[in-house]
Amino acid sequence: MRQRHIFGTVFTVEAAIAGAVFLAVLGLLAWTLLRHRGGHPPARAAERAERPRLEAYYVGALAAFAVFLVAWTAWQNHREHPAAGPRPLRVDVTGFQWCWTFRYPGSPAHRSVTGTCKGRDMPTLVVPAGRTVQLRLTSRDVVHSLWVPGLRYKTDAFPHHVNTLTLTLDRAGRWRGRCAEFCGRRHHTMDFWIKAVPPRAYDRWAHGGTATA
Amino acid sequence: MTVAPPARPRPDDSGRSVPPGGWLGWISTTDHKRVGLLTAGTSLVLLLLMGVLALLMRAQLARPEETFLGPHLYDQVFTVHGSGMIYLVMTPFALGLGVYLVPLQTGAPGIALPRLTLLGYWLYAFGALTLLAGFATPTGAHAAGWFSYPPLADAEFSPGTGSDLWIVGVCLAVTGAILQGWAVLWTILRRRTRGMTMLRLPVFCWAMIATCLMVIGAFPALLAALTLLAAGRADASLFASNAWNIGYQHLFWFYGHPVVYVMFFPYLAAVAEVLAVFCGRRFFGYRGTVLFLLVFAALSMSVWGHHMFATGQAANDYYSLTSIALLVPAGVEYFGMLGTVLGARPRPRTPMLFALAFIPQFLIGGLTGIMVGTPVIDYHVTDSYFVVAHLHYVLFAGSAFGLFAAVYFWFPKVTGVLLDEGMGRLHFWLLVAGTNLTFLPMFALGYLGMPRRVSTYAAFDGFGTLNLLAGIGAAFLAAGMAVFVVNVLRTLHARRLGRARPAGDDPWDGHTLEWAAPSPPPRLNFPADRPLPPVTSFAPLLDLKHREGGRA
Repeated sequence: MRQRHIFGTVFTVEAAIAGAVFLAVLGLLAWTLLRHRGGHPPARAAERAERPRLEAYYVGALAAFAVFLVAWTAWQNHREHPAAGPRPLRVDVTGFQWCWTFRYPGSPAHRSVTGTCKGRDMPTLVVPAGRTVQLRLTSRDVVHSLWVPGLRYKTDAFPHHVNTLTLTLDRAGRWRGRCAEFCGRRHHTMDFWIKAVPPRAYDRWAHGGTATA
Repeated sequence: MTVAPPARPRPDDSGRSVPPGGWLGWISTTDHKRVGLLTAGTSLVLLLLMGVLALLMRAQLARPEETFLGPHLYDQVFTVHGSGMIYLVMTPFALGLGVYLVPLQTGAPGIALPRLTLLGYWLYAFGALTLLAGFATPTGAHAAGWFSYPPLADAEFSPGTGSDLWIVGVCLAVTGAILQGWAVLWTILRRRTRGMTMLRLPVFCWAMIATCLMVIGAFPALLAALTLLAAGRADASLFASNAWNIGYQHLFWFYGHPVVYVMFFPYLAAVAEVLAVFCGRRFFGYRGTVLFLLVFAALSMSVWGHHMFATGQAANDYYSLTSIALLVPAGVEYFGMLGTVLGARPRPRTPMLFALAFIPQFLIGGLTGIMVGTPVIDYHVTDSYFVVAHLHYVLFAGSAFGLFAAVYFWFPKVTGVLLDEGMGRLHFWLLVAGTNLTFLPMFALGYLGMPRRVSTYAAFDGFGTLNLLAGIGAAFLAAGMAVFVVNVLRTLHARRLGRARPAGDDPWDGHTLEWAAPSPPPRLNFPADRPLPPVTSFAPLLDLKHREGGRA
């Protein structure tokens, strides 16, 4: 849930700033258009079309603002990707045209989940709630992208390469996952479920049982 | 001792030899105005075609689980729409505008490298035909998206001639753009009239300098990427290593980000000229605008990686730094536009309406651009409809409005007659309504989790209402474009019959030298019996009117 939380903070702040800038510009434009509609005499062309000092201050303010945004969002980005910590649960995720396979190398029963992503046959990525999970993403054919909109996060899955994504789901529940990188004819059906269950239920499942949240 | 034979007269230099008339005259012309019109006219026709493809997509997505296009046809439609709009419409129109206007604005009798400019047009036109020919092949047109990442675009996953034709077509069109970019840049540097120093160039010419520098600097990277893709289609083992897959993405976006500004600067500058003319005052902050256009162009070459945050294989901190730094030059450009308008009393004619709407509408694209340049936000919104909304606010709500401002503004210069004002306003209001109704809901769709490039979605996803709204908006856009087409055809028809009212050489009280030429300008732009006004600043005609004590 860390990704979702950090995204929420950054998105809210940036959307608020963007909204304020937009309203300021729109307001200035509207004001100048309405004010000079009526009987006011037309403004004479300014003799000086340059205001170097004003422009220099303006550039300085923009630069300072840019520095703040870069530094603050980079800090949030690093906060979003902490080290995995001791012994995360490892899941090997493979994308293929057009579905997913989830393998659990540490599971006593060597669990592996896959599907066809046709109709209701969507695979479910089962993880224990509250525990750090490390997804090792790769692809069997073309570039895919693992996106869980509810977590506000995605990472691409490349062939011949492993990308690592660390996440923790704080509470039990089920979220929709999808492929975000266009990958061919049935890209739009390449969905899955990610399901967080209590740790005990997860252990039962890892030993070959069924998982209930 | 031999005497050198007299040099053959060169039609573009002497003007003495008579060029062929009729259609042969058009396709073999070395007159920059005709090449500019061919380029811009072809791109406007393709704009309508790409718009029809967009309507097909909006019709398909208006309801959940709609199957009227089928996934494979849908993939072809969005691929050709995206690549067509970028490679064949917005970039060529921008360059065509430069080919037409730059010699006139700099007081030159013609363009430098006229034959190369014409060759550029032909490469572009044949490139467009080649790309579209994909629809006529048995397996259909290319269907791997306008950025065509391998291995999806290689011969194994995208078999069929359509993909080969796409690669060849894009290469031809982009080569044409590079040639025209060189010609325009060379004209500005070498063929300016007496007194036209670099800091007296109109804003539009400076924007073309920045544009052409990016074309020359970044477009060859696309040729390299497509060559790599073509090699990979011949030998699939090329992409059996991640280095080449990720390498293609780097090469592609090294072109793919600067091209956004190639499709922005000329339109921004057209808007700047329109704002200044219709406010009757000098463009505000000229030097700052010029300097920061160049800064903008330079920075644009170092931001490509922000398209790749989610790959996990790009240096996020660095690309986020360079991308967010773009707000400084962008802010300076906005400062100039606002400074020109504030306190003025603008004349609300059609070109001015488009230019005024450009300011807030493009701003939505720019501000959301800062958001997608922030890694934390990008991880969620990239490859979603949020990005689709963002890029359409940049390219449609922004650049296309600048494009129409330019069309309405310079139409009387090109044809000698004005477009109908009432239909122009109708076109404008339909486009404002349609643009925001179509693209605003897409921000919400992306935020809620709709991936881009999906041919349909499930009913329980809950995307139906917002997509229906976008579909209704697209109908407004289509109606607006129909009004525009009727307006242009009707005006040209009236002109042919001699019924149109002549616009005169300078219908808007223009500031720059093209308004000192007759409308339409003759073969060598400025007739000998009408000397050019002295160039004392970047708005020589405004200076002249001041001196004569006329309107200011």
